[in-house]
Amino acid sequence: MKRFTAVCTSIILTSALLTACGGNNNSEPSASQSATPSASQGESTETASNSGAAKKDITLTYLASQDWIKDAEMELAKKFEEKTGIHIDYQIIPADQYFNVLKTKLNSGEGPDLFGGQSGKSEISLNYNAQKNAVDLSDQEWVKREDPLSVDQLTLNGKVYAQTIWDTSNSYVIVYNKKVFAEQGLNVPTTYAEFKDAALKIQKAGITPLYEPVADGWHHVLWFAEPGPQYDKLQPNLYEDLNANKTNFETSAPMLTSLTQLKEMYDLGLFGDNALSDTFADMANQMASGKFAMALMTQDLPQQIEKINPELKATDFGFFVIPLADNQIYYVNPGGPSKFVYSGGKHIEEAKQYLGFLAEPENLQYLLDNTPTFSNLNFSGLKDKYSDEQKKLHETYPVKGTDIQDYVNYVNPQWMDMGKDIVGMFGGAAEPVDVLKSIDKRRSDMAKIAKDEGWNK
Amino acid sequence: MLRNKTYPFYFTLATIALYTLFLVVPGVMGFYYSLTDWNSFSDEINFIGLDNFKTLFSSGEHYMSYVYNTLNFTVSTVVLKTALGLLFAIALNEGIKMKGFHRVMVFMPAIIPMLVVGLVFKSVLNPATGLLNETLRYVGLDFLAQKWLVDVNWAFKSIIAVDTWKGVGYIMIILLAGLQSISKSYYEAASIDGANLWHKFRYVTIPLLMPSLVVTTVLNLLYGLKVFEAVYVLTNGGPGYATDVVYTAIFKEFSMGRYGVGTALSTMLFVFMTIAGYFIIRLMTKGEDERS
Repeated sequence: MKRFTAVCTSIILTSALLTACGGNNNSEPSASQSATPSASQGESTETASNSGAAKKDITLTYLASQDWIKDAEMELAKKFEEKTGIHIDYQIIPADQYFNVLKTKLNSGEGPDLFGGQSGKSEISLNYNAQKNAVDLSDQEWVKREDPLSVDQLTLNGKVYAQTIWDTSNSYVIVYNKKVFAEQGLNVPTTYAEFKDAALKIQKAGITPLYEPVADGWHHVLWFAEPGPQYDKLQPNLYEDLNANKTNFETSAPMLTSLTQLKEMYDLGLFGDNALSDTFADMANQMASGKFAMALMTQDLPQQIEKINPELKATDFGFFVIPLADNQIYYVNPGGPSKFVYSGGKHIEEAKQYLGFLAEPENLQYLLDNTPTFSNLNFSGLKDKYSDEQKKLHETYPVKGTDIQDYVNYVNPQWMDMGKDIVGMFGGAAEPVDVLKSIDKRRSDMAKIAKDEGWNK
Repeated sequence: MLRNKTYPFYFTLATIALYTLFLVVPGVMGFYYSLTDWNSFSDEINFIGLDNFKTLFSSGEHYMSYVYNTLNFTVSTVVLKTALGLLFAIALNEGIKMKGFHRVMVFMPAIIPMLVVGLVFKSVLNPATGLLNETLRYVGLDFLAQKWLVDVNWAFKSIIAVDTWKGVGYIMIILLAGLQSISKSYYEAASIDGANLWHKFRYVTIPLLMPSLVVTTVLNLLYGLKVFEAVYVLTNGGPGYATDVVYTAIFKEFSMGRYGVGTALSTMLFVFMTIAGYFIIRLMTKGEDERS
């Protein structure tokens, strides 16, 4: 009898255990099921998205750097959840730690369903190993409506690996307080010398010339990278020669000039006393306080300032390009923060569904209309919000060129390291030429890993 | 007799198997991978001998400064935590008022996660708006206000200070337990022999506290050599590379997909920790061996 009881008990316990283990099968599809959905599954997904019927109880994890996810996108994510039952779990990481966290997750096979990353061919191949870690999105409908220049920055061997929905006026320009300039009798500078004189005059008047958030680790690199077209103009064929490994950063006179001038600006105190601990998130507040006359920022900053301090109107601010190395070319970045679907994710089809939802024309227009920092998006058929000052900026600088990060290979993947080198230069631990040497060293390492012909002859 | 000897061995088989599977095998594999060009961009793994180690010791990058920073952090925190921990332990072992309250106050930081401590101190040590500089300015000590975490001269010292603040309570508890196990009769005998306070400390307290000191020193040493969170959260290795340590470098190498170099750094640290731990234990237990 005892033996019988023991056998019955073990059968019941084993059954209970097996039932518990298999309990999730109904709520979530297995990885293999969702990674390779059948045609009928694809149809049901489409139906769910369109009609709101057959809602799923799924959560998509989405890893992104701070400032990449706008409030309007979160509102759209709520609408998406209402429609499909698919919840988006945003995991926002501070900018200075984001790439290390992301790459560690990707390299250890622990990626989220969706991850944010910067666009650029060398960026997506070397930083994210997109061909391995990201899903091919070439067949998605929205690809045809996205700006071809943006799509190109996310394409490797003919396959599109991410979606960029970003402001087309995201070029960082110097936003200046027109009232301060007028009070000091200053005009928009056209050379570095004029810029330095103007900044020193502002400094003498008791106003800090520039707000520069170095603490985030990435912003101060813009000063060096954005005037790239000017370096290319001063040293003809520089971009092409760098990509072919026929020249390097170390021997580039315009680049050395630019970094030397940047260091001079820091040494002169043009960034104030606390640049190394100043943060990007505080930029609008600081500019709205009136303590700073200029900031290197996207063209939405005046609206942000007006929102914080209504006494300062958006029209009180104007724009000009970074004048290092006497730059007068408007630099364009056709890319921006982009959304990748992780190839090892459990909910690949749902992630694609979310990207499709975001790219629907009415949702793009909603994002554009409800994001103060956006003036236009890189999709066709939308109504832009360019201000008069932005139109004036485009008229003032008719010559345009692509910045270094998007054109020159192996630059963007080392952005944060360049930031560290430049901080070292500010602190006196390195000279401008040492920063350039470090960039060359890392480019060489990356190119060798990538088996780039230019470096592996 | 033979059966008596082999019988206990059967019981340890499972442990040996787990130890081999989860510690020995990964350790040996790690050593092997440190001799390869393993990276995330290629499926091939090629044997490259000691090239990764050569890179660490000879390349233009900052690896040697990471080693120096790690040693600097380790020595500084071992000395500071031991000295302060001993001071607090002695004070609490004597008859100070509100003993329990003070013990809790000193120990409390030890139970707060380093991530939280780091975020709080990042705010406290902000040069413009941080509580520390604001307080210093408020009481007229402006000249003491510093750019704690962003000045090359202060950043590393600030990390050491924050880590010491967090870790000293843990050391204090171990040393306090050691102090309380010393019989009062030793001190009475020393008093009869005419020993003053210093003599009692030097010839009674320290020798009898040595087992606890060995434990705290080795723990601090191992913790110091593998420091990561404090640096990562407070400065992320900055300004520039001024506060990067070996573990932040390992993290960076792995995040860049350069597994071979990262593993070589780990191997180097493992060897160093083993040697340092061995010699520290030998050095500090030398007197004990002689006495026994």
